[in-house]
Amino acid sequence: MNLEALPWLILFLPLLAATVIPLFTLRCRTTSALLSIGAIVTGFVLTVVFIANNGWTPTPSELTTNWLSIGNLNIDFGLKLDALSLMMMLIVTGVGGAIHIYSFGYMREDRGFSRFFACLSLFTFSMLGIVLANNFIQLFIFWELVGVSSYLLIGFWFEKPSAADAAKKAFFTNRLGDFGFLLGILVVWTALGSLNFSTLQQTLIANPAALGTIASIAGLLIFCGAMGKSAQFPLHVWLPDAMEGPTPVSALIHAATMVAAGVYMLCRIIFLLDPTALHVIAWIGGFTALLSALIAIQQNDIKRILAYSTLSQLGYMVMAVGLSGPTPAMFHLTTHAFFKALLFLGAGSVIIALHHEQDIWKMGGLRKKMPVTFWTFLIGALALCGVPPFSGFYSKDAILAQAWHTHNYPLFAVAAFVAVLTTFYMFRLFFVAFVGEPKTKEASHAHESPGVMIWPLRLLAVFALVGGFIGISNIILKHYFDSGLIKFTPLSYRTWETYVSDDPSSPYWLNYFNGLLDSGLRFLFKIPMMHKILEPFLDSPAASFIGLGAVAIGFILARSLYRNAASDPLPAKLGGFATAMKNRFYFDEIYEATFIRAHDFIATVMDWIDRWLVDWGGIGLVRGGTDFSGRALRLMQTGNLQTYAFLFALGVAVVLWFVLGK
Amino acid sequence: MNASLLNLEIWVIALGLVLMLADFWMPLERKRFLGYAAAAALAMLLVTNLGVCATGTAFSGMFVEDGLAVFFKRFFLVAAILVLFMSVEFSDRLTAGISEYYSLIVFALSGMLFAASANNFAMLFVSIELITVTFYVLTSFQRGRLVSLEAGVKYLILGALSSAFMVYGIALVWGTTGKLNFNELASVASQFADNKIFLFGMVLVLAGLGFKIAAFPFQIWAPDVYQGAPTPTTAFLAVGSKAAGFVLLLRVLFTAIPSVTAHWANPLIIISGITILYGNLCAIPQQNLKRLLGYSSIAHAGYLLLGVAALSASGQAAILYYLSGYLFTVLGAFTVICLVMRHLDSENISALAGLNQRSPLLATTMTLAMVSLAGIPPLAGFFGKFLLLKAVIQQAQVTGNHGYYCLTFTALAGVVISLYYYGGVIRAIYWSKDAPADLSPIMLSGPAKVAIAICIAGMFWIGLFPNVMVNLANEAVKALAR
Repeated sequence: MNLEALPWLILFLPLLAATVIPLFTLRCRTTSALLSIGAIVTGFVLTVVFIANNGWTPTPSELTTNWLSIGNLNIDFGLKLDALSLMMMLIVTGVGGAIHIYSFGYMREDRGFSRFFACLSLFTFSMLGIVLANNFIQLFIFWELVGVSSYLLIGFWFEKPSAADAAKKAFFTNRLGDFGFLLGILVVWTALGSLNFSTLQQTLIANPAALGTIASIAGLLIFCGAMGKSAQFPLHVWLPDAMEGPTPVSALIHAATMVAAGVYMLCRIIFLLDPTALHVIAWIGGFTALLSALIAIQQNDIKRILAYSTLSQLGYMVMAVGLSGPTPAMFHLTTHAFFKALLFLGAGSVIIALHHEQDIWKMGGLRKKMPVTFWTFLIGALALCGVPPFSGFYSKDAILAQAWHTHNYPLFAVAAFVAVLTTFYMFRLFFVAFVGEPKTKEASHAHESPGVMIWPLRLLAVFALVGGFIGISNIILKHYFDSGLIKFTPLSYRTWETYVSDDPSSPYWLNYFNGLLDSGLRFLFKIPMMHKILEPFLDSPAASFIGLGAVAIGFILARSLYRNAASDPLPAKLGGFATAMKNRFYFDEIYEATFIRAHDFIATVMDWIDRWLVDWGGIGLVRGGTDFSGRALRLMQTGNLQTYAFLFALGVAVVLWFVLGK
Repeated sequence: MNASLLNLEIWVIALGLVLMLADFWMPLERKRFLGYAAAAALAMLLVTNLGVCATGTAFSGMFVEDGLAVFFKRFFLVAAILVLFMSVEFSDRLTAGISEYYSLIVFALSGMLFAASANNFAMLFVSIELITVTFYVLTSFQRGRLVSLEAGVKYLILGALSSAFMVYGIALVWGTTGKLNFNELASVASQFADNKIFLFGMVLVLAGLGFKIAAFPFQIWAPDVYQGAPTPTTAFLAVGSKAAGFVLLLRVLFTAIPSVTAHWANPLIIISGITILYGNLCAIPQQNLKRLLGYSSIAHAGYLLLGVAALSASGQAAILYYLSGYLFTVLGAFTVICLVMRHLDSENISALAGLNQRSPLLATTMTLAMVSLAGIPPLAGFFGKFLLLKAVIQQAQVTGNHGYYCLTFTALAGVVISLYYYGGVIRAIYWSKDAPADLSPIMLSGPAKVAIAICIAGMFWIGLFPNVMVNLANEAVKALAR
């Protein structure tokens, strides 16, 4: 069965919900919510049905419909269907569906309930549009639509100036990145004459030098788009502020899906990036990961800690792409969607229970009060830190292994250090907010959230737990291997048997070590899934053990500092550095003093020119003239019938003279 | 003779008669629902007509059923259905004779249907008179209102004047050529291309048609009549009557006298350009919404004339496309006016203040209609203007006539000017300076919602998926070049 209609349906159902809600059901809150939830859950079910019937590599892999054609101008609207997009569709509709349901509980009391769901559905539509786009133009259109829905949702509580400012900041920062992105698209189009991904890929595989000398520039310009959307240094400043939006929005858009769009886009067009561009991308990713992990250590707002953690994880993904490893990047994107959405929803559950208190130093002792939130949050935290067998371990290990295998040891060291920091800030948050004694009255009176919020937590917790070893990476790996974008034999394709037939390139001690594992642990592989669970230790033992060590160090540090701490001991120990971390290394202030100041100055000058030269001199005269002629002409319309009849006859006479008189 | 070609017209006239008869038996309080019955009957006719594709001629070539006729007949049916919906909403403002109002709309429709099929000057004149005479009554139907009566009188006298010019013109054409049938005329027209009496007659005929479409310099009646007439009449005038004028204009210019028309590029360019500027400039200071739309309809006649001036098949197709989008846009706007201004004497733009709170649906519809009229994507108006301008520029490249470039810039300037007053309407809805006097919610009846939904869907469908309509239009205009 082919089911070609399904992808269209999946894409347009949320749009339908987004149109119907504001037009018809704005006042029926429950109907609005059910429409929105129904659209995305149906989308998820249909995606599953589609994959079950067509597999991960459906044929045809592109559905195209001619949107309009006039003369030689043909504009197609196409859907790309391959492992990459299908995987993303599952994430967007699956994780998104859980968050939609959660929002039903979380937003219960809000005045803009229906508006919220309309915006969520608009977002889902745009995000699916990015995922399914088969060409750059379509991708860009949906890219901007995602920006709009993100703007609407960050500023959802637009009465709050901080929310309105954050929405504006996110929008402007993204425009900056998108400017580069659009230039990149134009460069590619000028150079290669096509914007269709498949065509581009074929062109570049047939002739890798097709882009010539501008290859790096094109790649980096396109990366600008990802830099904005996935909040990479130096455009990272908008994401923490975006936490002004409702928590489900932070979970869905600013953790699980939209911010991952940049990474997804890079993975989609990885064939366009040349070694220089990849090198820059890898370092920007690594630097972002490090920078934001450091900042996260000294934040006190539960959502901001998670936001900086998101930045840091996005840095990991971008770094993986830069190390020419789209597989680990996509893998980490997937598992991150699970556990970060889980963490945000858990945080939301806490925030609601404490009547919108977000300061972790006013929480504490939530373990007894909110058991489900506590345990699911713990699972999310363990996954984020990378403790086996939680999902984050596998994907993070894949990234570390990628760095190791491409012999980029400096970045490997950065990644490992970030792993230490990750565990440290997550367990700092965990110990302060969940363990110990309640620090305020609200915290001691907290109680568990309702079922509609708890069940999505449980569901996401399951995936955060098992997401690492259910074969997600294999699907992505196969996709890249089949399309010829990965040249070396994929590590994960090795079975246990082929594994012992050694890789001659490995150092001898590694083989020896593998041998030990082989003899001692062979019995483990009788257990189902166990092969997948232990795979990282066999594939890249160095990366895995260093990663584990990093987690252990981070945990011990956090435990020694924050178990039973009533206030943060770190500022005293680190002094000025801690203050810098707390103040986000003053990026906002630096931007304020340089870019925004310069921008304001230019704006003032332009304002003067616009006001006096353009507006008064140019527009004013034209407008006045137009207005005057309009008023003068109106005088012809006297309302007097005789005049009208005369003018009519005169008109006929003039036309007659014009046609016949010459 | 193939009388079965006239099935649609016969049914429509029968419907009009039935409506008049039903007036006798229908209890007074139920009479207004006859409008729904009429709309339903027309909808059925439309659906049955969709399957029929008989072509041919009847009455020895006077009546022609071809692609163009079929396209316009469906167009008129849709317009009449939406206008009938609007009339039901309007019925409480008519003191008496609501079922007559319905049946007059249906008779006007039959005139438009005949106009779509007219292939002979006699047929052209009769169908135009059928439309115009019905509109005299429709315009002055609010007998209690002076403005309505005034509008009716003005339309009657100026219409009579234009009819006189036209029938004189037809007489001259017949006198010189001895032909009334368009196809027969086409075969001899080239011999008369320099005959001044023939050209004199043709210009007079075109002046009559110019009156129907409200093109400069025959546009003078439009604002007064649009403002004074009952709103559904205005709507039907703006859409149906104008489209009937255009189908006849296309037939006369491109079927009857193509060899003469080929020399008329410059007059057409000038008329089109001035019409655009006149409509847009005069619209700027208007306060009355219906009067504003009257001027706007003059401007749109100018845009549509771009397609005529282009003298090419793509220009003609663009006219058909543009009219289809214009249908939904204008009827959407007038439906909103009809519903909002129900209890107000004035029809001032300022009365729209606070509409977004009173009825978000109506506010949205009005905004979309204005946006579409202004020609902003993705609504129907944008793509229509695009196609018209494209046809003009193509023709400029083919013929090297610089007048076409001037016309393009004039049209673009007109679009810019129009943004100002269309924007003014939107501003009045959302950001009115004066506090709105009345913020009570506007209740909409189910059928009114349906009509509005159809208009919105039409605006988006034609704008977003132009392919279908472009293909239909391309097919239809093939009939002109027989």
